[in-house]
Amino acid sequence: MFKKVLIANRGEIAVRIIRACRELGIATVAVYSEVDRNALHVRYADEAYSIGPAPSRESYLRIDKILDVARKTESDAIHPGYGFLAEREEFAAACEEAGIAYIGPKPSAIAAMGDKAVARATVTKAGVPVVPGTEAEGSLRDEEIIAIAPQIGFPVLIKATAGGGGKGMREVIRPEDLSGALAAARREAEAAFGDGNVYLEKLVTGARHIEFQILADTHGNVIHLGERECSLQRRHQKVLEESPSPFVDPHPELRARMGEVACKAAAAVDYVNAGTIEFLVDKEQSFYFLEMNTRLQVEHPVTEAVTGVDIVKEQIRIARGRKLRYTQEDVSLNGWAVECRINAEDPYNNFLPSTGQIKSTILPTGPGVRVDTGVYAGFEVSPYYDSLISKLICWGEGRGEAILRMRRALEEYRIVGVKTTIPFHQTIMNSHRFIAGHFDTRFIEERFEMDEDRELRPEIAAILATLVAHRESQMAAQIVQRGERDTSNWKWVGRYERMHR
Amino acid sequence: MKYATTLNDKTYIIEINDDRHIVVDGVEYAIDFASLAGQSLYSLLLDNESYESFVEEREEAWQVLLRGVLYEVRVADEREERLRKASGGLAVSGGEFSLKAPMPGLVVAVPVAEGQTVVKGDNLIILESMKMQNELKAPRDGTVSRVRVKAGDSVEHNQVLATMA
Repeated sequence: MFKKVLIANRGEIAVRIIRACRELGIATVAVYSEVDRNALHVRYADEAYSIGPAPSRESYLRIDKILDVARKTESDAIHPGYGFLAEREEFAAACEEAGIAYIGPKPSAIAAMGDKAVARATVTKAGVPVVPGTEAEGSLRDEEIIAIAPQIGFPVLIKATAGGGGKGMREVIRPEDLSGALAAARREAEAAFGDGNVYLEKLVTGARHIEFQILADTHGNVIHLGERECSLQRRHQKVLEESPSPFVDPHPELRARMGEVACKAAAAVDYVNAGTIEFLVDKEQSFYFLEMNTRLQVEHPVTEAVTGVDIVKEQIRIARGRKLRYTQEDVSLNGWAVECRINAEDPYNNFLPSTGQIKSTILPTGPGVRVDTGVYAGFEVSPYYDSLISKLICWGEGRGEAILRMRRALEEYRIVGVKTTIPFHQTIMNSHRFIAGHFDTRFIEERFEMDEDRELRPEIAAILATLVAHRESQMAAQIVQRGERDTSNWKWVGRYERMHR
Repeated sequence: MKYATTLNDKTYIIEINDDRHIVVDGVEYAIDFASLAGQSLYSLLLDNESYESFVEEREEAWQVLLRGVLYEVRVADEREERLRKASGGLAVSGGEFSLKAPMPGLVVAVPVAEGQTVVKGDNLIILESMKMQNELKAPRDGTVSRVRVKAGDSVEHNQVLATMA
């Protein structure tokens, strides 16, 4: 086994990886930026090294500095987590060159799946269905795209070739809007990725976003750990995930078919380690390959909850060259798990990020509850990194129990100091459509209101506000009277002690 | 002390005379009210029914987050209420508005210029924070009187970015 692993990340995922290493008896090395000196991953790791100022490009994205720390500490391996350097081919290659194991796929697999056009061409060759589009044509000019569009059929989606996270993405319903939308998408893609190339894809309506977790070892074994339902998104960002999917679960043959295709897609790029194949699924159960994430996913805990597999520990074993400990037949889904992403954002104010010090926090606990977080009372949430501060995962025997448990856990969770998306998740957990499993990727943006279906207690709210207002006016009156001691505290203590001698 | 507390167009007359009792529209309740964690989080036992809530003041109103629902509540003591009635309840909608940065961040774009007229909901400033681009919008119709930042500027929390007349 490895003796020491460096974690090239921060926040909850760095903490998650440290935990796996601890359980395996592996020493850990944290790296941190100047504003993260007091972060939980620095406190939990065995060693910690500062790698530069707060902006990511000067710290968490500095391959040279991270490798320097790895060499200095004689780390055997590096875990990239997600985000930052996790899907950078050059980082995986640099680790390899430095003789340090990269806990993830080979640089060639990252490259093949990282360029979406190449990815789609590769999996198509392996017989994996993709959404009809211009991906295989390479970089087309606007006139060429406009000429091809009618063959694909409107509505269409413009996507950035180098894209991700919804940037450079545009939906086009009417043919006459295409040329304007292309220009806007290219501008956005150019600004975000330094690459203005875009492609066209058929817009699958009523689509669900369902992904398969796969594990592949260096001995040619590839298995999947079932699916995750990720249709609940806001601005193309996932907000809540569950496993299994309420859409796939009643159809075991669909799961088997999709799982097989997912393994095939991974094998097409000689994939090793943990990865995720994302599919779009329409109402007729037709599914299309969307992309592959060549890293650990934010939402991996829901899969861990229903399969009992510790994915991060499995990643480390695979990187060490061990054989998978499971065959496909060993994997079965037990019960149901839901994950809510708790972001430092104000759901009542257009999800504006909220920064500041966490004054106090009470974590939900009890049966079936897991919290993965990187913050604690006293920690400063800075504006430099993404707003995910915690993940709340609840397991239940069935979907109903998992949802009721999540409602209970959200009610227990207290975070004071920054605004969070907890009330947003409470509203989802009460939504009839969510409970019935009737939702697609448009649900939150088109058919969801923060104040639907809630039991209202206006009188209690009025009493609370009045009591606080009353308390504040009383306190304001007292502050005027509160004088400082007329003498120094040292003198005062001296007098006090003499008096009590 | 008597308060007129308004929420969703309904006004409650609430009387607080000591720490243990409250009278709401003539009905008396026993209360035990405590602040938790130093600020904004409160625990209320109202005739022994237990409630926990975040209560914060924002722009002249109290925001009460209770069991996953946000309420906006206005609280006026008797004196304020009398003054308000005496002034005929005139709502002031004009005046200068200063757009302040809701969080520290980087100005990505300023889609408006000084002197430009804008309508409610127009983007005034695009501010990047936590890897997201946030659109800061005009709260009402008006004219942009002053733009104090440009694209590329780093701004602090509560820094004035632009003003509207």
